Amino acid sequence: MPGTDRPVLETKRNDNESGETTQAVYDHMADIHDAQKTLLSRKHFSVRNQIYLGNVLVFLFALVMVLVLTLNNNQVQKRLKFLEFVNDFSSEIQQARRYEKNYFLYGTNLNDAKENIHLAESIFTTKSEEFSELLGGQFARQEIFSKIGAYKTLLEQLYQRGQKDQNNFHVTPFSKEIELKLRGYGKEILTSAQTMITLEKKTLEKTLSRSRYIHIYSILILLVFLAINTYLLVSRLYSTLNRFAAYAKRIASGDFRPILPQRNFRDEFTDLAIAINEMIKEIDLREAVLIQTHKMKAIGTLTAGVAHEINNPLNNIMLTVHMLLEDYHELSEEEIMEMLKDVAAETDRSKKIIRNLLDFARESTSTMESFDLSILLKDTVHLLENQIRFSGIQVDLQFAENFPKIHGDAQKVQQVFVNLLLNALDASIKGSKIQVIGTLGDTGDSVKVSVIDYGQGIPKHVLPSVFDPFFTTKSKGKGTGLGLSVSQGIIAKHGGTLTVKSEEGRGSCFTITFPIINFPEIHTFSL
Amino acid sequence: MSKPLEILLLDDEVIVGKRLKPALGSIGCNVEVFQDPELAVKRIAEKDFDIVVTDIYMDGMDGLQVLELVHEKLPRTKVIMITGYAMISLAREAMEKGAFDFIAKPFKPDDLRAVIAKAAKALGFSIEFNPKSVRG
Repeated sequence: MPGTDRPVLETKRNDNESGETTQAVYDHMADIHDAQKTLLSRKHFSVRNQIYLGNVLVFLFALVMVLVLTLNNNQVQKRLKFLEFVNDFSSEIQQARRYEKNYFLYGTNLNDAKENIHLAESIFTTKSEEFSELLGGQFARQEIFSKIGAYKTLLEQLYQRGQKDQNNFHVTPFSKEIELKLRGYGKEILTSAQTMITLEKKTLEKTLSRSRYIHIYSILILLVFLAINTYLLVSRLYSTLNRFAAYAKRIASGDFRPILPQRNFRDEFTDLAIAINEMIKEIDLREAVLIQTHKMKAIGTLTAGVAHEINNPLNNIMLTVHMLLEDYHELSEEEIMEMLKDVAAETDRSKKIIRNLLDFARESTSTMESFDLSILLKDTVHLLENQIRFSGIQVDLQFAENFPKIHGDAQKVQQVFVNLLLNALDASIKGSKIQVIGTLGDTGDSVKVSVIDYGQGIPKHVLPSVFDPFFTTKSKGKGTGLGLSVSQGIIAKHGGTLTVKSEEGRGSCFTITFPIINFPEIHTFSL
Repeated sequence: MSKPLEILLLDDEVIVGKRLKPALGSIGCNVEVFQDPELAVKRIAEKDFDIVVTDIYMDGMDGLQVLELVHEKLPRTKVIMITGYAMISLAREAMEKGAFDFIAKPFKPDDLRAVIAKAAKALGFSIEFNPKSVRG
């Protein structure tokens, strides 16, 4: 019952649209589902986290740097204070010695010297505890102490004696003896103070230069670290953005394979990939609907041809049956038999006329198989026989010997050729011909099929838009503008290309290139 | 009925000729049947037919060309077009080119007989035609 096939087809489509279409187009839905799961199953390391981590590391490094510098500064400060202390101390000693000298030379007052040495001693007593480490330990401190003590005692002795014997005491032999001793102690104390100052200055310089190095190196290290961090971040963003730009291009060209995980972590781009995969799913569903819509349109065109063609056998049957009814009694049995045979043959012919169209119209789940393009084209030309005859155009099929098989969805590929041939028939003038030429691709890993017509051609300014959806040059109601766009989509899904060359007034040539057998399987395909 | 109506029937469907020859013969017509338009055109050149019944879509030559050739030779000949591709545009074209009538396939023998009777009347013939076949 051919008549009942159409409604069944429609309901099936409706079911599909309500959610079960997941299998409709090349099983992409399952792939997308898998891709989404794999995308999500990876460890999470977001761009935000990378930025945070970088900043935290910079902060920690800066903190350590500040601590080290602070410690160093403290040391510098301490040493400076120590130097100040030693300086004060030694200047007091020097002052004391100056007075002492004056005393011996001119017999001046000893009080000033006493006062100075007292001051020196008090400075040393109050501060030396604090700097005992820098002084070189308790022993060295004690030694200086004892020397100061000795100096002081000598001065006191001198003073006491000087009080008793006022006149020119400083030139007495006793004084000379003490003077010698005093000079010895004074010199020693000053020398050790000077040594300390020299040593301390050296150490201070070292500490200062260390501080300088710490500054320079830490800033360098910080710069290098920032550079590395920025490089990692930028290259991560840049390469991923580039990748997504490529995806967008690929999807725009009709390749609806999902985005697969390419890194071993998950981040904001994963969310984007997931969103794009969802989008692909939607586009894929819509494309499936578009393909089906367009197929319906082609079926409509073909049906008109079949409806006309079927009139011939129907007419034969009608005439025969009516003549049988009219002349039944006058006819011989042989004649009756012949007429009945005619009827039987004509019903058979009707069936054949419809069968091709039904095969084409039947919606099957898309199956990938190996098939021979030359056979497919023969069947397609057969399917279009009525249209071809009606337009009075000759269609030549030329296929190379041992034409390789290709892998794909034969029904959808046939839809493409139906579309191309119907377009060619539309463009051709009566009496011209259409050539379908199948050749091997230049590199041998592809096949080419060209559909060439010698019709009106496509104007140059229109040529770039012929594959755009809803673009049509046909009058309103005649073309949907979907044919070439849908065809290109189907071919793209087979890993092939559909291109056009045309010259206005001379004709057009649509060329389809298919890869041989190795149709890109989604699982072996890595983006 | 002194002289039978001379009819040429051209259709590339063999059965059409086989069935219509006796069908028209029974109403007193002399029918010559052709499948090949070339042969038919040759025959038309040789003999004057009163009525030419021709299919439109045939390999080699189409019915409209046959119509033009017939009228070039003998304008009074009535040409009746039959076709499976019944489209208004086609019917209009045929009528504009001077076809007597246009019959869409599938038709019953009586449909053609009626048109032929009409044509015969227009030509001044009279043929007895009482529809007798079962209707429907």
